[in-house]
Amino acid sequence: MKMTKIYEGSYQWIMFGRDANKPSNIIDSNQYAVRTANRCLLLEPGGSELFAPMMAAVLHHTPVDQITDLFASHQDPDVISSLGLWDQALSNAKLHAPAIWEGYLRHFGCESIEYVPIPDNGGTIKLDSVELQLIPAHYLHSPGNFHVYDHHAKILMSGDVGSAVEAPGAPMYVDNFDSHIEKMRYFHQRWMPSNQAKRAWIERVRNLDIDILAPQHGRVFKGDDVKRFLDWFDSLQVGIAV
Amino acid sequence: MNIQTKSQFVAVASITSELSAVMVVAKEISLAAANAKAIAFRAGDKAKGFQPITDFINELAKETIDLVTNINVYALSLYRLTVNEYRRTVAYNKFDLVVKTTEGVTYAQSMQAPLENAKISMQNCQRQFKRDVKQLLDQLEAVMHHARAARVIAANSRIEASQAGEYLQSLQAVAESVDKAAHTIHDNVQRCRIALSLYRNS
Ligand SMILES: [Fe+2]
Ligand SMILES: [Fe+2]
Repeated sequence: MKMTKIYEGSYQWIMFGRDANKPSNIIDSNQYAVRTANRCLLLEPGGSELFAPMMAAVLHHTPVDQITDLFASHQDPDVISSLGLWDQALSNAKLHAPAIWEGYLRHFGCESIEYVPIPDNGGTIKLDSVELQLIPAHYLHSPGNFHVYDHHAKILMSGDVGSAVEAPGAPMYVDNFDSHIEKMRYFHQRWMPSNQAKRAWIERVRNLDIDILAPQHGRVFKGDDVKRFLDWFDSLQVGIAV
Repeated sequence: MNIQTKSQFVAVASITSELSAVMVVAKEISLAAANAKAIAFRAGDKAKGFQPITDFINELAKETIDLVTNINVYALSLYRLTVNEYRRTVAYNKFDLVVKTTEGVTYAQSMQAPLENAKISMQNCQRQFKRDVKQLLDQLEAVMHHARAARVIAANSRIEASQAGEYLQSLQAVAESVDKAAHTIHDNVQRCRIALSLYRNS
């Protein structure tokens, strides 16, 4: 599992991904950690196949008992089917996930972890002195879906939005936006169901100051590429399967 | 899923299906008893010896139904235990893998506690499973006992039926169906016991 620090200040954002040992028929995903003085939040902790390599990677940054929070943007297996394993490893943790998915996500096993339901209009996660905003992104692609915005680090963790299907071992950052488009187009057209939802999200997100847009698959967007992505997504017709 | 867990799932699932068959048959016996009672009533003196037997058959069928209902509760708990044990074993193996792949890593030591806890809960599940299997086997033994008793009664019924004149045939048919049902119960329960006995001391 590759680890990249995408923000380093009084706390850190770490990106995990490109697991070389992952079975090839499983979609590659990015996991993120926000590490503060005494706590650690894992964003999109990943599928159950990924649990062991992910945990092993996290141990480079934090002891298990300081993993106090998990966040799942939506219910997909690549996002959170590892829940039942985290549930047995963590003795004092919370899962922040969409309220409407609670009864479904509990199928993965959630007994010792406290499920903190995120209401439709969003909320916050406080981690020591860091406050993260939970931005509604419903129907992008899941009916109950949130992104995580850190106004201090200016990072938006955007779940499946901004995702790309990449060859194994692709670089972590977008280096040429134009050539990156083709890796994103079909994914967004096929997975994102609603132009209306997309519009509402773009309006909301354009008001945020974002340096880094960090999706769950593919590469991270930095600086001007964030705006390029928003413009491109704005003009894309989605929901093409009907 | 390894072979041991897989066959444990199969064993537990097969109990439930065998038991539901036993339930159907026990209800058949109870019906046969009611039938026999009516016939014996009509036959009057000619079936005098038959009347107490019908009550006995009925009683036996009811007890079997109660026992099986009770056993089903155990079987369900065995199923839950199997699921739990499976989940905990998977977790334990993954935690073990984490420990093995993080030698020398900064916070590797912190994984020891979860690993130890996972091991304990996995072993607790295994112990509880063995305890429950033993209890279930005892209860199955009781059902077998009932089935054997029913066969003895069926044999007696045949003798009694032979003195019932024109009712001979219908009473013999009752004895026959009780015997057949008891035989089926015996076989089904025997299969349950064989499937389970693997796990008593494993
Ligand atoms: Fe998804
Ligand atoms: Fe995804």
